[in-house]
Amino acid sequence: MTGATVALTAIPPYLVVAVASLLVLALPRAVGHGLGALATAFVLAQAVLLGDGGTGAHLATRFLGFDVVFFNVDPFSLLMGVVVGFLATAAVLYAYGSDAPRWVTSFALLYVATTLGTIYAGDWLTLIFFWELTAVTSTLLVWQHGGAAVRAGYRYALFHGTGGTILLAAVVVHFANAGTFLFSETAGIHPTATVLAAIGIGINCGFVFLHSWLPDTYPRPHVAASVFLSVFTTKTAAYVMYRAFPEGGMWLAYLGGIMAVYGAFFALLQYDPRRLLSYHIQAQLGYMLAGFGLATAVGEFAVVGGFAHLFNNVLYKSLLFMAVGVVIYRTGVEDIREMGGLWRVMPVTFLVYVVGAASITAVPGFNGFISKGMVLDSAHEVHEYVLLLDSGLLWWLLVLGGVGTFMSFIKLGYYVFFHGSATLSPDDATPFQTAGMVLAAGACVFFGVFYTQLIELMPFTDLILSDEVYFKPYSTSHLTESAALLVAGFVGFFALKRPLGWLAHHVRDVDAVLFPAAFYAGRWSVWGVTESWAAVDRATMRVVGGAKWVAMNPRRLLANAGVDAEIRAGIGRSVLLLTLTAAVALFALLLG
Amino acid sequence: MTDVLLPLSIAVPIVAATLPVALGRWDADVGWPVAAVTTLGLVGSAAAVALEVYTGGPFDHELGGFAPPIGIELVADELSAAVFLLVALVSAATLVLSRAIGPRGNAFHSAYLLLTGGLVGVSLTGDLFNLFVFLEIVGLTTYALIAADRSGASAYASLKYLVVGTVGASLYLVGVGYVFLATGTLNMADVSVQIVERASYTDPLVQAGFAFIAAGFALKIALFPVHTWQPDAYQRAPDAVTTLVAALVSTASAYALIRVTYSVFTVEFLAANDAITTGLLLVAGVSILAGSGLAVIQSDLKRMFAYSSVAQFGMVVAAVGIADETALLGGIVHLIGHGLLKFGLFCGLALLAAGYGARRVEDLASLARDAPFASGALAVLGLALVGVPPSIGFLGKWYIALGAVRSAGATGGVVGVGIAAVILASTLFTLAYVARVIERLYFAGVDRGDAERGSAAGHAGTPSGGPDGDAGTAVADGGGDAGPETIPTAPLAVLVAAALVAVGLGFAGAGFETLLDPYLTEVFA
Repeated sequence: MTGATVALTAIPPYLVVAVASLLVLALPRAVGHGLGALATAFVLAQAVLLGDGGTGAHLATRFLGFDVVFFNVDPFSLLMGVVVGFLATAAVLYAYGSDAPRWVTSFALLYVATTLGTIYAGDWLTLIFFWELTAVTSTLLVWQHGGAAVRAGYRYALFHGTGGTILLAAVVVHFANAGTFLFSETAGIHPTATVLAAIGIGINCGFVFLHSWLPDTYPRPHVAASVFLSVFTTKTAAYVMYRAFPEGGMWLAYLGGIMAVYGAFFALLQYDPRRLLSYHIQAQLGYMLAGFGLATAVGEFAVVGGFAHLFNNVLYKSLLFMAVGVVIYRTGVEDIREMGGLWRVMPVTFLVYVVGAASITAVPGFNGFISKGMVLDSAHEVHEYVLLLDSGLLWWLLVLGGVGTFMSFIKLGYYVFFHGSATLSPDDATPFQTAGMVLAAGACVFFGVFYTQLIELMPFTDLILSDEVYFKPYSTSHLTESAALLVAGFVGFFALKRPLGWLAHHVRDVDAVLFPAAFYAGRWSVWGVTESWAAVDRATMRVVGGAKWVAMNPRRLLANAGVDAEIRAGIGRSVLLLTLTAAVALFALLLG
Repeated sequence: MTDVLLPLSIAVPIVAATLPVALGRWDADVGWPVAAVTTLGLVGSAAAVALEVYTGGPFDHELGGFAPPIGIELVADELSAAVFLLVALVSAATLVLSRAIGPRGNAFHSAYLLLTGGLVGVSLTGDLFNLFVFLEIVGLTTYALIAADRSGASAYASLKYLVVGTVGASLYLVGVGYVFLATGTLNMADVSVQIVERASYTDPLVQAGFAFIAAGFALKIALFPVHTWQPDAYQRAPDAVTTLVAALVSTASAYALIRVTYSVFTVEFLAANDAITTGLLLVAGVSILAGSGLAVIQSDLKRMFAYSSVAQFGMVVAAVGIADETALLGGIVHLIGHGLLKFGLFCGLALLAAGYGARRVEDLASLARDAPFASGALAVLGLALVGVPPSIGFLGKWYIALGAVRSAGATGGVVGVGIAAVILASTLFTLAYVARVIERLYFAGVDRGDAERGSAAGHAGTPSGGPDGDAGTAVADGGGDAGPETIPTAPLAVLVAAALVAVGLGFAGAGFETLLDPYLTEVFA
């Protein structure tokens, strides 16, 4: 390691960002945002520089009597550091251009800082510490907006508080069995903690039925806050999922497949653009988890596919939130049916939307095509429950999710930018919004074309690029597959437009049951606890009251019992007591 | 030459005690300056002695050049230096309080100096009979001080203490006589040797001697059931006197019990006589429970904390009876800590009584709004008494309980565990009565605003001789007076300092262990 690298390993990036978040509050808005962007750019630069021989467990120390590592640098945390640093920089620029209040940017940077802490943790104790902090900072970020965001923020906090506690339990179980909090080179979390860890992390990953907070929360806060929120919590969760289960498992892969279909299907039914995108977060996480889940069944190729998809997803998902955010910022409308024809007045926004949509739907030439192809290829090698085309259930789930993704982005683009004549004529994106979006969009195209650069950032680079692995994204079969998906998407959307509209009115997600159920369960349990406590309280107070009366009126008690005696000892009785005491002491000693 | 400080520290206050009365013919206010100068000198002397002891080790002084065992010896070791320091500091602090709220006469200051000299004598003497003399000096001056406000109730309380206390002191003297018969010496160090050489630990004379001495001390310390003088005395004495007496007088006797038990009879005597340790622990346990229980049901504030002392000294005596190194360390820490806490608590109560006429728990209603510092200090000291860490109260109880459990582990006896359980239970009781005080102070929800102020304004309108006289009468007529609605600054500062020290010493557990370690090692050698 060179001297500069050593110096870099001594600076935990989250401290830099945390300091920047305070400065944003203290300094003038432009200067503060500039420093914020510099801080996140530093995170990116640090991650890139440390990639050259800077790996290792840095800032290892003892905390509360346990061995901990505050700055763990390995290929996985580095790739997270690169993409988080890059995207956060773009998002800070975007926030500056979106008139985000200083508090939003400050909370957002704090949120980024805690995310980085989670990413660079080298042990479960540090990880759970930052994990919980991330829940707090992201809740603050939601709450800051006020209004409808407050109630959603409460639900968000409840979900993440629950998830954090379950993960904490998992970490404790892990420690009890493994005897250390430190990450192991080969194994993840201890097998006895599997279920706890899966559920705890799964809540943040948006597992089906545990995902309600996702579409509930992300559409509500400031548009700039949504950009931050959309990428960090869920992607960090996917990363931690890999840390916990580096060997994967078919349960994880199938869960991912179901998430892909479920998320894409419900996305299709949405008319709030940010809610639609939120469901896609769930769907996209499905692909990542599918990749991680195939770690043993298929091998490192699937893991790299998952991580590449994670990396790309951060880029295009935030890009889509930015583009949609510009539309909301300019029009103030949050229902795509009230938009339309905007491509003429907002050409820049339209263009970056197309880049983002092409990336997420895996159109050749964009980064999503590369990574989704890797995951699909991995899934293709699984031959369980074989259906049509000699392909297994998992592959079909993922492909079905892909078609749904196509359909919903055609729908989103169609309603926002075409769909009748323009009734609104807003301005296009502000310069700094454009800057943020161009950064993200540029990265989407760059990694789509120069895909070996993407692989360079991934772990197991040499293996993927070697001859043993067939990695040819632009092969004929891949292009055919993509074209088929595209056609299916177009045909599907325009054929099913009316039925989908009907479905959107009649199909509710689990939150229709979950939220009222939780609400009434909460009310009833509070009532039950309060009432039973009150009953205990009344009984206790009666007993205490009786005891107190007896204590306060000992003479009256004696009188009631028919004994009439003076209790307080006078001089004579005191001397008597003293003499008796001395006598007892003597007897005890001499005869005892 | 530091050893000359020992006789001077005793003689100077006693000699100075004659000055206020003698000079009082010419100057009615001469008492306070004399007392203040003497006490300041005493603090300096205590600091010098403590410094010498804790850096250079124990040292002694032969009075009049007569070598022990015939001559009388004054000894400063790790234990007596700590008590000496407490006596000097609390005496000085009490003088600040009495200056503000009375009593102020020359007679009071003479008695005060005599009491201080006696207390220093108790803590420094190395001679059993000399100890009796100093105990009597302490006792007699205490009787006088309790009756200092000339009310009927305090006269009765004083008389009760006089009669009972004299019987107690006589029991001690009888015990010393038996020991003298058995060993032929009165020097403490010599007695501990002669018990083995000329008698034995199971000699009936020695046993009877200890029984009388222990019974006498039990009375002086005010252990249940011979505590009966103590609540009356504390309640009826003038407030500043209560502060002094509660912080030091029983403390000195408890110190004497530790000294006589461990330096004269030694731990082997305890080991040879199971009945003694059992009896001590029994009395201590009952004392802890009964004192705490009786404290809970009091409505008069001073009486409440008087009963609390019965319980706290029960813990110190339990530490003596457990005969374990950690427990004895806890006993000594608790002895010092309790002196400090009781000084602070009674000082706070005295200030609230002088300022607002608060004498019963219900009088405290929402006083925290008018007297935030005094109430805050009272709350902190109260919680320290409960044993909430970090505080000196926690340290003492912790070490005692730890020692109790350890000794139970060593011997497999249930007694140690029982004592630990009793300490825990009494902590709950203590919490109960301290919580009552804090609840009244802070959460009574009484608006002391207009109604009180109106009556106070009307009260101030009547000619009453200025704030000084007002405070004087508030003390003299024992409550019922709303007071001047302010608290004098100097004693308030002392009170807050006491609260801070009580918390600060909570961090000094390791320090206490280091300082007292030589003494404990010697005693348990």
